[in-house]
Amino acid sequence: MIILALDALDLHQVKKFTCKNLMQKEHGQTDLSDFKQARTVVLWASFLTGKNLEAEIPIKTQWKYKVKPEQTFLKFFKTYKTIDVPAFSYKQQNHAEERKLLKGYFEDKATIEGCDAVVWRNHKENKKEFLECLGKFDLIMGYFDLADFIGHLSFGIAKKMAEVYNELDKLAEEVKDADDFVLVISDHGMKAVGRFGDHSRNGFYSFNHKLGLQLPKITSFHNLIRRIADEHA
Amino acid sequence: MNKYLEELEKKSIAIIREAKAQFKNPAVLWSTGKDSTATVWLCKKAFFGKIPFPVIHIDTSYKFPEIYEFRDKIAKEWNLNLIIAKNEKALKEGMSPEKGRLECCTALKTEALKNLIKQRKFDALILAIRRDEHGIRAKERRYSPRDENFRWNYKDQPAELWDLYVKPSEDFSHMRVHPILHWTELEVWQYVVQEKLPVNPLYFAKNGKRYRSLGCMPCTVPIPSTANTIDKIVQEIKTSKTPERAGRSQDKEKAYMMQKLRALGYM
Repeated sequence: MIILALDALDLHQVKKFTCKNLMQKEHGQTDLSDFKQARTVVLWASFLTGKNLEAEIPIKTQWKYKVKPEQTFLKFFKTYKTIDVPAFSYKQQNHAEERKLLKGYFEDKATIEGCDAVVWRNHKENKKEFLECLGKFDLIMGYFDLADFIGHLSFGIAKKMAEVYNELDKLAEEVKDADDFVLVISDHGMKAVGRFGDHSRNGFYSFNHKLGLQLPKITSFHNLIRRIADEHA
Repeated sequence: MNKYLEELEKKSIAIIREAKAQFKNPAVLWSTGKDSTATVWLCKKAFFGKIPFPVIHIDTSYKFPEIYEFRDKIAKEWNLNLIIAKNEKALKEGMSPEKGRLECCTALKTEALKNLIKQRKFDALILAIRRDEHGIRAKERRYSPRDENFRWNYKDQPAELWDLYVKPSEDFSHMRVHPILHWTELEVWQYVVQEKLPVNPLYFAKNGKRYRSLGCMPCTVPIPSTANTIDKIVQEIKTSKTPERAGRSQDKEKAYMMQKLRALGYM
């Protein structure tokens, strides 16, 4: 199974930029109504464990929060590989650098171009690692934060966002035939605040088989993934 | 009179008269900057010299002394019914830019105005914003309805076809009216020259610097310039590639986003 975990991939933007590969046979919006805030780490930790962990994850220390493999659906697979997954294998150094630049931009100490360069560099590094793992594990889960980071800084610039969504769509194209089961999922969406972006509740999911889900909760994928693991063990 | 400026003026005066006719209790906001001074002047012209509604100045108490001097002088000369909106409570509690720019602006500008609107029951505010000032302002219409929290839904605005300005349903707290929305910075300056309007001295260069946009003292910085006359300012704007509000550190959108990112734990 392949899980493409795309931070801040927004349902409306996927449609707007006609991302055909991201919109697999089944696709739609996730239901985040159980969460007070659409926080990245909380949502990914909840996705991994199938439990709403909002109350357990304090804002200040959220980036360092980690769940154990036995708490997650990863335990159902004989072999698995996760790349940069928040609350699990998050590349602390890379993301600390990104957040530092983000803060720097808002404090007039960094430029948008400088911020973009770092996040694209990290994206390419993760992408290379992710593509090299295809076909080698029962489950591969790769996390990419391009749409989140660039979205926060430049959501109002359609050209830049088109470039981001095009890149993520290409990534989906590269993995679509690499496994029988491909799940694309985002933690939350993104909405415009003038030229910037703010987390929205338009989270996105897509699966390469028809499931007939209606507004699934991000925690409800746990069972689906478990079933896939059991059936193909 | 320059034909083009005459057209701009005509349109603005029509909007102002329309607002006066459609709303029971309008008022015009005046910061003493060039745009709002031109707007107050347009209001004067629209009603043959005497503005039939109050002129509001929001006093944060952090403005330049030149602004207060200019305000009092012109208010007297133009016989304005001047109302000063000030959030005394927040000032007493120590609100200042050091507490955060967005927080300070919200308390000393937005809240001060909210309180005044509530107290005086204004149903329309005439503002001197222009579309070319900022990306988000380009989405504004001449009539812009606001709710009680000053929220503006740019995706749900009244249509303004054939220059007809219609008051929408009752679902708004007050209407923002923007008579100079279609003007550019250069046109405002050309109008200032043509009408011989008084200009705040802060706009003129001193020691190689001048203010291009006026705000509160801690949050406004001058731009490098040698333009010490209006003609030189006009010339400078014609060739400038710097955005008008480059000297204003108070970028509400940016400050708001920073606050949101903080709340999400990014900072």
